[in-house]
Amino acid sequence: MEGPSDAGVPGRSAAAKALDLARLLHGECARLLDLFRERESFPADHDPEGGRLVSLGRWSDDMSAAEQVWHHRCALRKCLGLLELLIAREEEEEMGGGDEGEYEAVRRAVRERLGHLLFSTAALLDDGDDVGDLSPQHDCAEGRDEVEGSGSFAMKLWMYKVLLELIHWTGSTSKVLCELHSEREAKQEQTDL
Amino acid sequence: MYIWLSWVMLVTLQVRKGLCLEDFPLSQAIKLEKDLDSHTLYIKWRCAHPGLYDVEIYRTEFMESVFNETVEARWDKNNGLCQWTWTSQFPLECTSHSVRIRSRDPLHVGEWSPSSITEGKDIPNNSKIQVYPQDKVVLVGSSTSFCCIVGEGDDFVKMMYENRNERELRLSRRSYAITRTNQSASRPSGNNVVCSSREAMYGATIFVGYPPGDYDLTCDTRDLESAECQWKVGRDTRLYGRRKTRYTLNGRNVSSSRKQIQTIQVGKWESSWILVAENPLGNVELRDSAQLTDRVHPVAPGDLKAGNVNAWNVTLEWTWPFPTYKDLPLICQVQITANAHSDMRNFSRPGLSQVSLLDLQPYETYRVIVRCGSQNNFWKWGDWSPQISFQTKMDRPEVPDIWIWMKSANAGFVLWKPLSRSESHGVITGYEVTQERAPEDGQWTYVYPMSQRNATLILQDNSSQSVVYVRAKNSEFHSNYSRLAVPKYWPDTEDPVYEVAVRDGGFDLSWPASANGTLGYVVEWVNTACGLDCTVDWLKVPDGNTSAKIPSRDLIAGVRYTFSLFGLSDEGCELLQRWHGYSKEMVPAQSVLNLEANQYKSNVQLTWGKIPCTSQRGFVRGYNIYLVHISSLRFLTNITDPNVMSYTVKKLSLSSYKFTVKAYTDAGEDGGATVSVNLGPYSDFLIVEILVSLGSMSLFFALIAGVCYKKRNWVKKAFYPDIPEPKLPDEWTATQAPLEVKPSPHSMVQIMERQWDSGKGGLCTVPENDEDGSGTGNEPMDTDSDEPPLLQYYNQVVSNSSEVHPGSDSSSSTSSLASANTDVTYTGIQISGCCYNAATEESAECPGSYRPQMLSEGCQEEPQADLESPGLASFGGYRPQCSWKVDSAEALSFDSSVGSPTSVNSTQFLIPDVSTEDSRNTSTSKWFPSFLSGKTMK
Repeated sequence: MEGPSDAGVPGRSAAAKALDLARLLHGECARLLDLFRERESFPADHDPEGGRLVSLGRWSDDMSAAEQVWHHRCALRKCLGLLELLIAREEEEEMGGGDEGEYEAVRRAVRERLGHLLFSTAALLDDGDDVGDLSPQHDCAEGRDEVEGSGSFAMKLWMYKVLLELIHWTGSTSKVLCELHSEREAKQEQTDL
Repeated sequence: MYIWLSWVMLVTLQVRKGLCLEDFPLSQAIKLEKDLDSHTLYIKWRCAHPGLYDVEIYRTEFMESVFNETVEARWDKNNGLCQWTWTSQFPLECTSHSVRIRSRDPLHVGEWSPSSITEGKDIPNNSKIQVYPQDKVVLVGSSTSFCCIVGEGDDFVKMMYENRNERELRLSRRSYAITRTNQSASRPSGNNVVCSSREAMYGATIFVGYPPGDYDLTCDTRDLESAECQWKVGRDTRLYGRRKTRYTLNGRNVSSSRKQIQTIQVGKWESSWILVAENPLGNVELRDSAQLTDRVHPVAPGDLKAGNVNAWNVTLEWTWPFPTYKDLPLICQVQITANAHSDMRNFSRPGLSQVSLLDLQPYETYRVIVRCGSQNNFWKWGDWSPQISFQTKMDRPEVPDIWIWMKSANAGFVLWKPLSRSESHGVITGYEVTQERAPEDGQWTYVYPMSQRNATLILQDNSSQSVVYVRAKNSEFHSNYSRLAVPKYWPDTEDPVYEVAVRDGGFDLSWPASANGTLGYVVEWVNTACGLDCTVDWLKVPDGNTSAKIPSRDLIAGVRYTFSLFGLSDEGCELLQRWHGYSKEMVPAQSVLNLEANQYKSNVQLTWGKIPCTSQRGFVRGYNIYLVHISSLRFLTNITDPNVMSYTVKKLSLSSYKFTVKAYTDAGEDGGATVSVNLGPYSDFLIVEILVSLGSMSLFFALIAGVCYKKRNWVKKAFYPDIPEPKLPDEWTATQAPLEVKPSPHSMVQIMERQWDSGKGGLCTVPENDEDGSGTGNEPMDTDSDEPPLLQYYNQVVSNSSEVHPGSDSSSSTSSLASANTDVTYTGIQISGCCYNAATEESAECPGSYRPQMLSEGCQEEPQADLESPGLASFGGYRPQCSWKVDSAEALSFDSSVGSPTSVNSTQFLIPDVSTEDSRNTSTSKWFPSFLSGKTMK
């Protein structure tokens, strides 16, 4: 099982590590979408219509970086659920023909790395004192796992949207992790002074 | 009346119409049903009987007719409905269709019924974008039409089948259709048709594949109770997931795998089996039926082990997992493998679980597997048991194969072939060699290690019989002895040797039966050119056989081998025959040696030496001789006798030549040796040339001598004229006394008068005597002589005798003497005062003129009637012997010759001064060609 690399630069903060992981995951999600589009011969210039599959329940721009990370983690958790559903449906339909190609390999890597990112961000938030009273059980995000319409093509569109959600939320998480990393570094510098 | 008739006719027509052709019923009487999967529209209407109807179908929105034909409706008398079925090219969801019908018979066409409409999905209520059909499964190669209904208020952009644009057909205001023909198999997730509008994107998936192709269903039993059924999956259907092939066996669903051979277990044996394989494109039904006893497929024997292992046999034991096997007649195969060689042995018995394996090899490791089948109604072999291995025990080794190779009369080697693994019967530890000599010499025994292949053999005396014994030892046993009498040494050159060639991978040797081969024969072969360290091999031929095939695969190509046949008898070994052979002949590796070219007259003899045996690499069959041109070889001759090693090239012209000699074998000729020769004049010819030259010269000189002899008079006159007698004056001095010789009385000097130019002296011409002196002094001057006149006068007598100074000799006689071919001898008259004075005086006046005997000035005063004084005084003339005076008539007396030169011999002409008179020039210019031509000037 592949996990986040702790063998990086010594002394790197947990926020920095989570940030690296999120960025890496973001790239892999983009790669996964490319492979999906390639497999299904979907045109690259036309994304499926419709709103977000995953949305945050409560969101304010006034939130601290840690709170934003906490909310994004909620969204990522929903994304992981959608990804696992996607995998189950693809395997049920044997959409890959029963053989594991590059798409299946990247898909497995994204699922595992997404789990590690959730674990890392949870640890990151547990260590901080700036999260407030947010608890993991809080219903912070919504996800639509139903397929709009019937038929294989509708399911493929739903999968397409799931992958777009992954790209969106991993990218957004990278941004908030970056802010959190900056904040904590600044705070650490003040403490050191 | 008229009105009544009209009414009757109208009623009649109405009745007839009602009887024969029904006016079409109301519109609600047309009932439309549709099957969306098959795009089929079922049109039904009430009717009284079957008949012809005109059916018109059109797309409702655009009123575009898509079907308008007269059809024969199918009539259902039970419900009184007529029915017609129409299949649309496009999915019926794509747009609404309207249908109307009218009846038709040969005489009448009914009215069109009101149109009935079946709605498509493009009605305004369905405002979102849609694509049809969805998830259709079709056969590979078929055609499928798709339609896209864009959203209300949206605009169609394009439709793509697997990312490829297709030309669309507009069916209605919002509906657009494409048709894809001859579709290839789809990918596992299906092929996508994507429709793009200005505001949205949607699509459909189509699965293209094949129906199931499974075959070969067979069921058998392993435990004599349950069943195991197998079948083979045919062509890949290319359908996956929910569209993949589903199986039922005797009505029960069975799972499948992705293997090509499917296997399922069924708990109870049934006598018949039906397997149905089905997918959306079709199904296939497989059947099998058999009695259980006919389908016994035994399981693999378990717990296989080897018991009671000996050197030559072993017992195998195994068990069966099912008690039902106990009474089952079984046939079992035991596969025995040792040294990559397998052997299969069969055994049979009811409930067989133990067999004995015989005829094994001692000290051999065997690997064994076992499988069984039903002996009665054999169906198929069961599974192989797991493999076991065991090793048999050791035993006595085989007798080694030995041979004795004699390298000389009293030395040789005892050779033995190492025992193979199957002959060793254990691990060979060594070989024991015993030589038994004459009784008085005793015997010796040595033990050699297992790696040793030979032992040196020394004989004291070649004539004494010696016997060698060899036996092998393994770690537990000794072999029996191998005995061989030491053969006599036979050099390779003593017997006639035959050639033998390879045929079918070996040398076929055969020989006549010999009395010396009562115990068989031995064929020995060895590299002919090897020294002492030879690899000797041999083959023993049993008694009665008179042929052997020696395999050539281990022999080196291009190496000559000697094959020696020995006869074995109680008396010992004797050489019977020898062969030479090559496993593969090659071209010689080396050219002929010492190629030389020697010239013999116009021939060139080429000689060369034999190619060494090791370089021949084949039997040399002869030599090819070539003349080397600039860049090519011209074949001269082929010498087919390899023992001939010279050749003479004859009749060559003088030039340079290069000759190449190539030896050849059956494989071809070698690179060739080349020699150059420069063919020059040969010595005999040179000697002959010299002799001919000398002979020619001699002949020439002899001819010259003969001619000279024959013409000696002429020669004498020309080259050795008599010196004219000088006319001596009376006052001949006493100093001249010693000369006793007197001139011949007939000697005279005749003075010829000439025309002289002024300033030129006159010439004195003296008649000459014959050589033999036959002429007299009174004879007239020989004017007919062949001599030129100038030669007649070069001895001139001067009338006025004077003293000649000795110094004048230096300018006249001396100069004459200095001439190589002029020999003028003066006898007692060299000293003349006249000449002396004249010379003294002339030296200033006539310098450079040739004047051996110039006249003195005093001479000019002598009375010479015929001479003009100016000429004489000029000293320009030629005046030989001028010391002599011209005397008077009495000077003609014999005595007057006293003191004159006895001879004048000169081959050098006395050339007059060029400045003298013309006449002399003329004489001089004419004389030489006349002399050459042999004519006499007159």
